[in-house]
Amino acid sequence: MPSENQSGMQCVECEGLLAEAIDGALHGSTLAAFEAHQQSCAACRAMVEEATAGMHWLKGLDEAEPPRNLVHNILAQTIGALPSEHAVVSPRGDGWFDKIKGRLATVFAPVATPRFAMSFGMAFFSITMLLSIAGLHLSDLRRLDLSSKGVTKTYYSTQARVIRYYENIRLVYEIESRVRDLRRVATPEKQQEEPTPKNQPKSDNRQDKDRRNQNYSRDGNQPELAASPAGNEQGMNKVTNQARLRGPQQAPPLSLVGCLNRRTA
Amino acid sequence: MDDIQAVNALVRRCVTGDAAAWQEIVQQYHRRIYNICYRFSGSPDDAADLTQEVFIKMYRTLSTFDTARASLMTWITTVTRNLLVDHFRKGKYDRVTDSLDATPGNQDDGLTLVEKLEDRSAGPEARVRSQETQKLVHEALRKLSPELREAVILRDLQDMDYKDIAIVLKVPEGTVKSRINRGRTELARLLQRNYKQVS
Repeated sequence: MPSENQSGMQCVECEGLLAEAIDGALHGSTLAAFEAHQQSCAACRAMVEEATAGMHWLKGLDEAEPPRNLVHNILAQTIGALPSEHAVVSPRGDGWFDKIKGRLATVFAPVATPRFAMSFGMAFFSITMLLSIAGLHLSDLRRLDLSSKGVTKTYYSTQARVIRYYENIRLVYEIESRVRDLRRVATPEKQQEEPTPKNQPKSDNRQDKDRRNQNYSRDGNQPELAASPAGNEQGMNKVTNQARLRGPQQAPPLSLVGCLNRRTA
Repeated sequence: MDDIQAVNALVRRCVTGDAAAWQEIVQQYHRRIYNICYRFSGSPDDAADLTQEVFIKMYRTLSTFDTARASLMTWITTVTRNLLVDHFRKGKYDRVTDSLDATPGNQDDGLTLVEKLEDRSAGPEARVRSQETQKLVHEALRKLSPELREAVILRDLQDMDYKDIAIVLKVPEGTVKSRINRGRTELARLLQRNYKQVS
């Protein structure tokens, strides 16, 4: 491979000037030396021919037409706005509303994208579905009484519901039954003195249950009125007096007395 | 100079949150970016996705654009090129580079490529206008290595000067010229292999 010929130019120099030569930027003696080197060097001549041909092939490529919705998609993903063909470029600082709008658009640009909107939609759908499964409906909020009375009523009704649920648990009931049996063994005489609702008419069972339910939420140290037979004031007073005599330590829990009376009945 | 100042003012308005300014930038440069992405990736769908990514990246980093260092066009081209390189490194686009084993001496008829091209009634630019030829040249361009491909795209398709290409590619100007020469030569050789198909 000839590195230098009669023109005095080396192949490396020729290669370095190739770009300018193809662009037509060589002049004077440099151009003459370059052409002379080509005449005498077949390799460099071939290189110039190929490079020239490659450039022509590339120059002949047409400009690709971008998709029509490309600008729309770009603007939607950046500023979340749709392109307007007749949009007038308003000078900066036209009004306070435009300024705020521009600033907000910049701040919310990362989230104002279709991807975020899709994620937000999916999250909203999931939450709504979970609330629906849980039995909570947004329409219930309209009927919500937010007055002081309403809130108090809701509080106490919820409390009573929770206590009722707790009392109706089988495990709790069995434990209370065991405790009651133990207490009865420990104090058999006192238990026997308590009135037994044997003569209670069957028609009063429902009222008795209702009253017991009403008393579930009361303090265990108080006497259980529902445990006494309906209308039997004497028996009720006996229980009350016994409870008072026993004092707070000996007084059986409210629910235990109720259960005992139920069992006895 | 007035154009540069107008572009710089446009950028400043855009940085302050002027949506209309941003829309103007998108309208002005989307075609150029799309073409660079299309010629580099070879796929219209990939080019559209990449163009969107370029503008999203530009939108987030436009405040870092320094008007004193380079023009907006050079900066946008740099952003585009960096994104393309990132995608290429991730393996999204396979490199299909043929070797330069095809030499002019391998021709059956002993004619050089230029002689063959000169045999045609019209020049290469005229012949390349046909759809089939466009497709072959486009496919040949995809077979170039990324370094050569990006250099010839910026020079011959985007008409950038060597200085700006050197800024975009972050290599010396001499390296840019060398890559352009090699890219053109390799493309011509690849097309020479398919010369019968082209003609």
